Amino acid sequence: MRANSVSIKPIEITPSADEARPQSHGDKRISTPSGDGVSGRGRLVLKNVSKNFPGSTVHALRDVDLVCDPGEFVVVVGPSGCGKSTLLNVAAGMIKPDSGTVTLDDQPIRAPGPERAMVFQDHGLFPWLTAAQNIEFGLKMAGVPRSDRAARVDAALKLVHLSPKRDLLIHELSGGMRQRVAIARALVMDPAVLLMDEPFAALDAQTRTLLHEQLQELWVRTRKTILFVTHSVGEAVRLADRIIVLHAHPGRIRREIKVDLAHPRNFDSADITQLVRTVRKEIEDEVNRVNAEMAETYWKPQTPGDLGADPGVMGDGI
Amino acid sequence: MIGWKPWLFPAPSHVLDALLGLMNIHTGFGEPISAHWPRVILEPGQHVRALAPWWGSPLMKAILVSGVRLLEGFAISVALGAILGLLMWRFLELDRFLGPLLLGLQTLPSVCWVPLAILTLGINESGILFVLIMGSFSAIALVLRDGLRNIPPLYPRAGMMMGARGWRLYYYVLLPASLPALASSLRTGFSFAWRSLMGAELIFVVDKWRGLGFLLEAGREFSDVAQVVAVMIVMVVIGMLADRWLFAIVQRRVQTRFGLAT
Repeated sequence: MRANSVSIKPIEITPSADEARPQSHGDKRISTPSGDGVSGRGRLVLKNVSKNFPGSTVHALRDVDLVCDPGEFVVVVGPSGCGKSTLLNVAAGMIKPDSGTVTLDDQPIRAPGPERAMVFQDHGLFPWLTAAQNIEFGLKMAGVPRSDRAARVDAALKLVHLSPKRDLLIHELSGGMRQRVAIARALVMDPAVLLMDEPFAALDAQTRTLLHEQLQELWVRTRKTILFVTHSVGEAVRLADRIIVLHAHPGRIRREIKVDLAHPRNFDSADITQLVRTVRKEIEDEVNRVNAEMAETYWKPQTPGDLGADPGVMGDGI
Repeated sequence: MIGWKPWLFPAPSHVLDALLGLMNIHTGFGEPISAHWPRVILEPGQHVRALAPWWGSPLMKAILVSGVRLLEGFAISVALGAILGLLMWRFLELDRFLGPLLLGLQTLPSVCWVPLAILTLGINESGILFVLIMGSFSAIALVLRDGLRNIPPLYPRAGMMMGARGWRLYYYVLLPASLPALASSLRTGFSFAWRSLMGAELIFVVDKWRGLGFLLEAGREFSDVAQVVAVMIVMVVIGMLADRWLFAIVQRRVQTRFGLAT
C-alpha cells in the first residue's frame, strides 16, 4: 500500500473455509509452467507520478505511487475521467509525466516499447494486414528473422485459439476475435508487462465472459504482469489480484483492495458478493463526491417542488 | 431535309463518319455534308492517296501524344501534391498558410493559367505541362492531407508500442494506413489533370505534337461540327475509362482490403 492520500486502510479478502479450492492462488503461482514471470521480470513501479494536461485546472494524476510485482494482475477501476487511462498511458510511455518516475525492472520508461505491450479498447489492429501478419508485425520491427517469426506467430495464434483464422483480414473477424488477435499481438513480443486499456468494454456480455476466462488461462500460463484498466466492477473482481480504486480530480489512489481468492472465481460465492459490494460502494462514493464538488455546475434532476412554483404566475415570462 | 442544317447539327451518322475519318477510315453513313466529306487531316507534305493505316491516323497519334503528356504531367503533379500534402499534414503551421491558398488555386479554372504560361514559358510542351500541373496538384495535396488526417491515431500508437520508430513508423504504419487517402487523391487528381490537359491543348498549338485538344480546335477552324463532337466523345470516353477501369478499381481494392467497402 503506497497511496499517500487514503484514510481508509486497505482490506484483504481471504477465502472462507467453505470456499477454499483444491488449488489455491498461491499454489498456482508455484506450479506455473513458464518460469519467466516468477524469475522477477516485469516489476512496474510508478513513483510520485503527476500529470497535469495543459489547460486543465486539476491534475489528471497527482503523486501516484503504484508497484506491480512480477506476475501480478492489477486492475485499476474508477469513475470516468478519473485518470485511469492516463495512468496506463504513462506506464506505456505514451504520455510523459510532469514529475515522478516510471520504471520497469529498474529501467526508466521514456517511450512506448514492445516490453510494455498494450491492448487497446478499439484493438488498434492494422486493417491492411491479416491476423497472422498483425501478430508478426512486432517481431518484424524487432528484427526477428523470418524463419523464427513463423513459429512464434503460430504459437501465439494457438494461444488465443485462432489458428484457423490466421489469414483473415481484420474486418472479417468478430469483435471478440479481434481482441484475441490484439492480445496475441501483444504476447508474441514476450513483453515484461501487459497493459490493457478497457480491452473488453466494447464487447457483448457473452463474449466478454469468454474472454475473461481465456485471459485468465493465458495469465496462468504465461505469468505476465498485467495492469488492467476498466470501469466494470465485475470485471475487476473477477480478474484481479489487487484492485486499485482511483480518486478523481486530482487523480490519486483512493483505495487498494487485495483479493486473495482462488481462480477461476465463482460469482455466487459470498466472498465475491461482498467484494463487489465493497468496490461498488467505493466507486459510488467517489462519483457522489465528484458530483458534489461540481454541484454549482452539475445538473441534478429537479423535484416537482422545484418546478412547481405558484400556478398563478405560470406563463408570466412568455 | 427542309430547315435542318447538317453542318450545324450533325446527325449521329455524321459524327460516326467524322470519327472514323479521323482514324483514316472512309465511310458514308451520313449524307455528305460538303464536297470532300468526311475531311481528312493531312500531315505537311502528305497526299490523300498515301494515308496511313488506322493505327497511324491523326486520332491515334493525338491519343498517344495526349497520353504521354498526361503521364508526364500527372507524375510530376502527384509527386508535388504528395510532398505538399504530407508536409501540410505533418506541420500544422504550413497548413494554416498553404491550405487556404491551395483551396483558392483549386477554384481557379485551369485554363486561367494559360496566359501566364504563354508569356513565361512560351507556346511549347513545358507550357502545356505547366497548366496541367497547376490544375491538378492542389487537388491531390488537399485530398491527401484530408485523408491522412483521418488516419486513426491508434495506428501510430499501436505501431510505436510494437517498436516501430522513425522511418519504420512511416513506411510500415503510416504509408499503408494512408492508402485509401492516396487512392482517392489519385482519382481526384487524375480527373483534374485530364481536364486541364484538354484545356491547355486546345489553346497551345505545338505543331509537331498534335494532341486531342488540337483536333478539337482544328474541327472548329474548319467549321466541322461533326469532328468537334467526335473528338469530344473521344475525350469523355478516355476520361471515363481511366476513371472506371483504373482508378475506381484501385480504390475499390484498397477499400475492400480495409473493410471500408460494403
